[in-house]
Amino acid sequence: MSTDPDNIDSIVNRRYEHGFVTDIATDTMPPGLDENVVRAISARKKEPEFLLEWRLRAYRQWREMQEPDWAHVHYPPIDFEAISYYAAPKSDDERPKSLEEVDPKLLETYDKLGIPLHERARLAGVAVDAVFDSVSVATTFKERLSEAGVIFCPFSEAVTNHPELVQKYLGSVVPQRDNFYAALNSAVFSEGSFVYIPKGVRCPMELSTYFRINAANTGQFERTLIIADEGSHVSYLEGCTAPMRDENQLHAAVVELVALKDAEIKYSTVQNWYPGDENGVGGIYNFVTKRGDCRGANSKISWTQVETGSAITWKYPSCLLRGDNSVGEFYSVAVANNYQQADTGTKMIHIGRNTSSTIVSKGISAGNAQNAYRGLVRVMPQADGARNHTQCDSLLIGKNCGAHTFPYMEIKNPGARVEHEATTSKISADQLFYCRQRGISEEDAVNMIVNGFCKEVFKELPMEFAVEAQALLNVSLEGAVG
Amino acid sequence: MKSRHFSMDALGDAIARLPDDRLTAIRNAAFAHLREHGLPTKRDEDWKYTDLAPLVDIGNQWLDLGDDVTPQADSSDVSDPIQKSIDADWLLISNGQVDANSIAALAQDGVTVELLSKHDSTANFSAPLTDLNSALLRDGLRITVDANHSIKRPIGILVVDIAATAASLSQIRADVIVGANSTLDLIEYHASSGEGEHYANSVINLTLEDNARANWVRIQDRDRAHNQTGRTAVTLGRDSQFHHCAFDFGGRLIRNDLAVDIAEPGSAAVFDGLYLAGEDQHIDNHTRVDHRVGPATSQQEYRGVLTANARCVWNGKAIVHEGADGTDAEQANHNLLLSDKAEIDAKPELEIYTDDVKCSHGTTVGQLDETSLFYLRTRGIDIVGAKQILTTAFAQTIVSKLPVESPRESLAELVSARLSRMLEAVVK
Repeated sequence: MSTDPDNIDSIVNRRYEHGFVTDIATDTMPPGLDENVVRAISARKKEPEFLLEWRLRAYRQWREMQEPDWAHVHYPPIDFEAISYYAAPKSDDERPKSLEEVDPKLLETYDKLGIPLHERARLAGVAVDAVFDSVSVATTFKERLSEAGVIFCPFSEAVTNHPELVQKYLGSVVPQRDNFYAALNSAVFSEGSFVYIPKGVRCPMELSTYFRINAANTGQFERTLIIADEGSHVSYLEGCTAPMRDENQLHAAVVELVALKDAEIKYSTVQNWYPGDENGVGGIYNFVTKRGDCRGANSKISWTQVETGSAITWKYPSCLLRGDNSVGEFYSVAVANNYQQADTGTKMIHIGRNTSSTIVSKGISAGNAQNAYRGLVRVMPQADGARNHTQCDSLLIGKNCGAHTFPYMEIKNPGARVEHEATTSKISADQLFYCRQRGISEEDAVNMIVNGFCKEVFKELPMEFAVEAQALLNVSLEGAVG
Repeated sequence: MKSRHFSMDALGDAIARLPDDRLTAIRNAAFAHLREHGLPTKRDEDWKYTDLAPLVDIGNQWLDLGDDVTPQADSSDVSDPIQKSIDADWLLISNGQVDANSIAALAQDGVTVELLSKHDSTANFSAPLTDLNSALLRDGLRITVDANHSIKRPIGILVVDIAATAASLSQIRADVIVGANSTLDLIEYHASSGEGEHYANSVINLTLEDNARANWVRIQDRDRAHNQTGRTAVTLGRDSQFHHCAFDFGGRLIRNDLAVDIAEPGSAAVFDGLYLAGEDQHIDNHTRVDHRVGPATSQQEYRGVLTANARCVWNGKAIVHEGADGTDAEQANHNLLLSDKAEIDAKPELEIYTDDVKCSHGTTVGQLDETSLFYLRTRGIDIVGAKQILTTAFAQTIVSKLPVESPRESLAELVSARLSRMLEAVVK
C-alpha cells in the first residue's frame, strides 16, 4: 500500500473552516487575577453573598495549588496574569427576549458556523441556550420546558431565581480544590448553563448549548450544573466551535452532573474548537473538569464526546457510581491532527453495590499529533458485584503521530469483574484494497473505515449530532492513507 | 517513623569498608549519583503503588549495626527441596557474596563464569535501585556464553540469604552475555530464611548478541517476612530471541522490574509471569519494552492469584519509538481476586510514536466462574477441591509456557502446593 504524500499534505494544509472573528464591542476586564477581580465578577453578576464567599475560597485555594504536569502534553507555561477573566457582549443590559431582538451579527455568526439557530431549533425541536462569550443571548422553547417544570437557564439566572438549588449542588460533585483548573474556574466562572429536572419528569426535548469563544485574550470559564431529581430523565447536548486566533486561548470549564434515585442523564459533546494552524500556532487550550455523580440507586450517567478541535485537550469526564445498581458510561472519539495534543479519558469510581460501567474510547491520530487515553477504573472495597468493561482503540494515520494508553485499574473488591482491552493499529492495507477494488476512491474508503471505527460511539449520539460528528470527522481526516 | 532516605553518611562508611578492587570506581560513582538523586517515593509515577520506606528502614537498621559482613552460607546450608530437584549447574550467591567454589565447579564448554571484579565495569545510572546495588556491591557474577555455542545443561543462579542479624541487606548482581548464534538456559532462584529482617536488591544485565537465544526462568520463594527488589535489564541483538518466565511465591514486599530494549530488528521477546500472593504480601511487577526498531515482536502475559490482604501491582509498558515500523506488541494481565481485602492495581500502558504497528493489551480482574464451580460440585467435588482445580488451571497456564524443561515438574508442584495453602485459608 503506497502512501500518497499529496493526500497527506492536503489534509495537513486544510484550513479551519470556522475561522472568523465577529466584530462586536465587548465589555472586557483588564488582564490579571486577584481577589478584586473575583469580587468584580461577582458584583457585575449581582451575585448573593454566599457565592462571592464561595468564589473567594476557591481563589485562595487556587493560589496555593500547582499546575498539573502529569498529562502527556507539552505547551509553553500559561501566564495567568495575562488573561482577562471576564468578557460580555455590550448589550448585556438589555438582554434580548426573543430571536428578533438578538444582535443580527450574532445570528450571522451562528449561520456561518452552520447552526441556523431558529431554523434548527424549530426543525430539531431543540431548545438552544446559546452562549456568546460569557453571557447567554437567546433561549428558546422556554415555555414548553417550564410547563414540564424543567428549569433550563443561564447560570447567573439560576443564581438569582433558584439560589437554594445552586447553593445545595454547586461544588458538590467537583469541589473547589478538586484540581488546579477546577479551582480557577470556581473563582472566576462567568456563565454557563443550569438544568434542573423535577421528580419523575422526562425532559420533553433535548437540551443544547453552543459555547463559543470570541473576544481575543479572553479565557472562558463555563460552569454547567445539571440536576436530575428522582426518576427523571434528561439528554443534554453541548457543541462548540471557535474563530481563528493566533493567541492561545484558555478554556477551563467545569461540568457537574447529579443524578438522584432512578434518574438518568445523557450528556453529549461535539467539540470543534480552533486547533491551531498547520504549524501548531494558536488554538484553544481545553482544560475541562467534567464529573457526574450517580448519587441515587439505579441512576445512570452517560457521557458521549466527539473531540476534534482544540490545540490541547485535557479532559476526563468521570462518574462516581455511588448509588446501588448505578450505571456509568463513557463513549469517546478523539481526533488529533497537525500538532494537536489530546490527553483524554474517564474515571469510573465504583462505590455502590452492583454498579456497572462501560468505557469505549476511540482515538485517531494524524499528522504530528499526540493522542492519549488516560483512564481510571476504581472498585472500592464495599462495591460488591461491580462490573466494568473498557474498550480502548487507537488508529494511527501517518508516521509522525503518536497514540498512547494509560489505563489505571485499582480493584479492591473480589466480586468485581473488570475487563480492559486495547488495540492500536493503522488502517490496514487489506481493508483499503478491498474498498478500492470495489471502485471506492481512496478518500471515501478511508472515511468509511474511520467512520466504521467510530461507529460504536456515534450510535450513542443524538441523531443531529451524529450527522455533525461524522461531517467533522470527514473534514479532519478524509484522504488520509495509512 | 520510617525514613524515606538512607542515612548517607553511614552508607558512605559501609561502602568505604568494602574491599578496594576494580569495582571501587563504580561504587563511588553510584553512591554519588544516589546521594544526589535519592530513591523514588510514591510521588513518582513508577512507584505510585509501592512504598520503599520499609526497605529503606531495614537498610538504615542494618547500617546502624555497622556490621556489614554477614556470614556466608554455602550450598550445604541450602535445604530448599524444590531448588534441589531442578537440574542445573548452580552458582551460589549468599548474603551478597559469590561462592567461588561454585564458580570453580561449573565446567561447561563455551561458558565462562567469573567474578565481576575481574573486569572493569562502567557505571549505569538507569535506575535508582541500580545505584544502591552498585554502591554496596561486594561482588557479582559475569557469565559469558561464547559465540556459536549452545549450552548443554541449564545454568542456575541460586540466591540464598540467611538473615541471622536483626536487619540485613544484600546486593545481588549478574552480568550475562550470550554470544552470537548461541543459546543459554538460565534459572534464577531466590530463597531466604532466618528470623531477622532482610532486604535483597538484585540487578541482572543480560545482553543477547545477534541471533542469540536466552530462556530465563526466575523463581522467587523467599521467606514471607523478607523483601526483594529486582531489576532485569535486557538488550536484544539482531534476530535474537528472549523468553522470560517469572514466578513469585514468597516475600513480603517484592518489586520486580523487567526492562527489555529492542535496538536491533528481527528480535522477539516473550515474558510471562505468575504471582501468588497471600497474607501481608505485596508483589509488584513492572515491565517495560522499548521497541526502537522494527520489525520485532514482544508478547507478555502475567497472571496473579490474590488472597487474604494481598496487594499486587502489575504495570506493563510498551513504547514504540519513532521509526519502529513493523512492531507487534501484546500485553495481557489476568487476576483472580479471592478475598475481600485483596487489591490489584493494574496498568497496561502503550506509548506509540509510529503508525505501522500492531499493539494490543488486555487486562481482566475477576473471580472464579460460578458455573464452572457448580459443574464441579455436581460431580461430587467439594468446594475447596473445585476452587483448587479451577485456580490451578488458571495458574498452570504460565507454567505450561516455561521455556526451560528442567524446572517444570518442580514448579507445577510448587504452584499446586502454594495454591492449596492459599485456598484453605480462603475457605476457612
